[in-house]
Amino acid sequence: MASRKPRDSDHPKVHEAFRLMKSGRMDRREFIRVAALLGTSATAAYALAGLPEPAYAAGTLPFPADDPKAKSGGILKIAQPVQKMEDPATYSWVEMSNQTRHTVEYLVMTGPDNVTRPMLAESWTAAEDLKTWTFNLRKGVVWHNGEEFTADHVRWNIERWLDPKTASSNVGLSVFSAMVEETPEKDAKGKPIKRLSKSAIEVVDKNTIRFHLSKPVLSAPEDCYNYPTAIVHPSFKAPLSDNMIGTGPFQLAEFRVGDRCILKRVTKLKDGKDFNYWGGKVYLDEIHYYNFEADNQLSAFASGDVDGVYSFSVEQMDLAKSLPGVIHIARTAQTVACRMQVDQKPFTDKRVRQAVCKSVDNEAVKKLVYSDGGDSGQNHHVAPVHPDFAALPPLKRDVAAAKQLLKEAGFENGIELTIDVGNTDGPWHQTVAEAMRDQMKEAGITLKINVMPAAKFWEIWDKTLFGVTAWTHRPLGTMAMSLAYRTGVPWNETHYANPEFDKALDAAEATLDVEERKPKLMKAAKILQDDAVMIMPLFRPIYTIVTKNVQGYEGHPTQYHQFNKVWKA
Amino acid sequence: MLKLIGNRLLQMVLIMAVVSLVIFAIFDSDKFKRQIAVAELGGFAVSALSDQDYEAWLDRKGLNVPFYERYLKWVGGVMTGDLGRSFEKNEPVTRLLGDRLVNTGILAFWVFALMVPLSLTLGIIAGMREGAFRDRAVSFIAVLTTSLPEIATAIVLTVIFALGLQWVPANSAMINGWDWRQLVLPVMTLVLYDFGYVTRMTRASMAEVMTSQYIRTAVLKGLPHRRVILRHALRNALIAPFTIIALQLNWILSGVVVVEVFFQYAGFGKLLLDAALFGDVYVIQAATLVAVFVAVISQIISDVGYTFLNPRIRFS
Repeated sequence: MASRKPRDSDHPKVHEAFRLMKSGRMDRREFIRVAALLGTSATAAYALAGLPEPAYAAGTLPFPADDPKAKSGGILKIAQPVQKMEDPATYSWVEMSNQTRHTVEYLVMTGPDNVTRPMLAESWTAAEDLKTWTFNLRKGVVWHNGEEFTADHVRWNIERWLDPKTASSNVGLSVFSAMVEETPEKDAKGKPIKRLSKSAIEVVDKNTIRFHLSKPVLSAPEDCYNYPTAIVHPSFKAPLSDNMIGTGPFQLAEFRVGDRCILKRVTKLKDGKDFNYWGGKVYLDEIHYYNFEADNQLSAFASGDVDGVYSFSVEQMDLAKSLPGVIHIARTAQTVACRMQVDQKPFTDKRVRQAVCKSVDNEAVKKLVYSDGGDSGQNHHVAPVHPDFAALPPLKRDVAAAKQLLKEAGFENGIELTIDVGNTDGPWHQTVAEAMRDQMKEAGITLKINVMPAAKFWEIWDKTLFGVTAWTHRPLGTMAMSLAYRTGVPWNETHYANPEFDKALDAAEATLDVEERKPKLMKAAKILQDDAVMIMPLFRPIYTIVTKNVQGYEGHPTQYHQFNKVWKA
Repeated sequence: MLKLIGNRLLQMVLIMAVVSLVIFAIFDSDKFKRQIAVAELGGFAVSALSDQDYEAWLDRKGLNVPFYERYLKWVGGVMTGDLGRSFEKNEPVTRLLGDRLVNTGILAFWVFALMVPLSLTLGIIAGMREGAFRDRAVSFIAVLTTSLPEIATAIVLTVIFALGLQWVPANSAMINGWDWRQLVLPVMTLVLYDFGYVTRMTRASMAEVMTSQYIRTAVLKGLPHRRVILRHALRNALIAPFTIIALQLNWILSGVVVVEVFFQYAGFGKLLLDAALFGDVYVIQAATLVAVFVAVISQIISDVGYTFLNPRIRFS
């Protein structure tokens, strides 16, 4: 299999990547990911890499191959917070998207192996300059109302995401940020309003849509699986839960916020005809989500009420190990940014920010919070699990230097800071803050920890001067960097604006060769690290548990639920 | 008596009016409106909305009308049984509240059914002979269980009976329908927490009665001990505990948030907590009205019962 070569019709970058792999400059996994991103089917990509495709279906389906032993029927019960389902484009929690993931689907799907495969799009091709992407949509996909899924529907969705009134975070994703342009209009704060460029989306025919981007983007397919990019029917009106028309195998049967979300298999279309799901066999009859807050999910599992949990915390690991079940551990880029707003005093002074960063030993914080698993951070947002990560010189805690910097900044008697903590991802946020507080004390920094309910924190996450914000996993190192630190993007909570950083990130995002991209991305990471906008002490592992009779389940680094091929023995 | 009840009910209406007005005023602030927007749309979405779009959202949610108009509309709705619509749960508050009150009512029933006889019996046994071994033993247990916070008791019981012995489920979410076994741990937790207090009050009352002259006279008259206790001591000794037990109604309604949250029991306390965190003003308003109602009613029950049990008050 390894003797195979890319086809002539494959993207030139696939040929380039193939050469890099053969010369040993790109590892096989990265080649598969790159080839799949550029439109080569995952099966072909695995074959070119000389690797067997791990239990994934042949052809263009994104799901694992059917298990001959699989049994149809049954209900999968999962414990997770059951949240409101207003508008997928403004989802702010993964849990919301899990509730709708099997009903409203995505153009692509990134599996637990970090490979992106086609979903509602059957394939895609990219121009050599990575500025034009053509998505060929899957034929035969129908909405639950019997209507055929077409390219116009995709265009309608993207136009809606990029309408400022929708306030979707999708505008910050690389592929979509390259579709908007500034207009002479200004908002109340005097910022120019960005709108979709008229030439950005071209509907070639009813099954083909083409994106014309203002800059090269490597991660276009991966961006299309970010959780707020679910494709809804053009008749959509919020809240989604009131009239959920999708293309997926399940539909909403019962829903109460804070109680339960019951999904049942779609068998008939609204006009009474049979519904044939495009994605092949689906085994489960029903998926049930029951509302359990993070701390209670494991007790629900222990009681036998549910077959699996959304996640459990590191503090609960001993309990989880004592229960009869299968624990799944995923290495991720999930993290916390203990970030400062660089345009607010005293953080306008870079020396203060640097002093804060230098007073903390990230490795020590990581060991304290997650003694097993996880990676320590380097105060930038690229994680060791990312394919484009390269380690920068190790950060060293330097109390003397921190004191000196504070002195130079006019705080020779020390400084008092308050950090807001919402524990939005669990109590470990507070443990991180407490560890930092103890270390900062030595450098003359008195850190007060303002703990608040998660809902309250969510209200101020992007407004607070100094706060601990949770960031979920994203498959590429470039993605979170682009979402959170690029000048003027909506999720830029640090208010960081550095053209040099933006330029370095642009260069990284336009580079296919992972070996070539690494130094470019790490250049951007170094700029961010030097500008000391945050302490990012660690990247945490995530833990889930399912009963032994749940088959085909895999822990996903973003905690996305993909139950199409899950079955119960 | 009727005048007393009438006055109390009038007071209740006034308290409800003032409390609802104050809460409405607090939640009418920009801060709380934004909190609702953040909870509903997500923090990012709200921060990215232009002022114009934010105003449009407020219009859609009916939050952009003057305070007095919203308040009067809400009062009008309350008069017709419409308590508004929950922002968080997206359903009528009346239905939501009804379900939760039923759940809390079931919890309260079992807590009272176990706690009242247990604490009265133990309190009387302890108070019959002050300083005896059984008095000290009961007092020790009562002080111990009451001193433990509900959350600690809940954890201990869960570890022993749910995770260890696996006799009962560890949570009370009732996701597969009603299951009495899931009620065991929250009921046990609340009974353990509350019975000590009522026991101590009963014991103190009983001990005081046992030292009174009429009891001494009855004993000296040669009446059997059993008759002295049942006919002479008990009725007077129960006056103080009765008042306390009636006031526990209020506690069981809104003071058991910790237990409801710990066991994921969908009761009134958990609803109130969720609503407060979300800024769900109509749910908070309705829950507050119910809490005031129960507080005043329990006070009336306490007063009326006290009057019947204590002839000196009744005839004065």
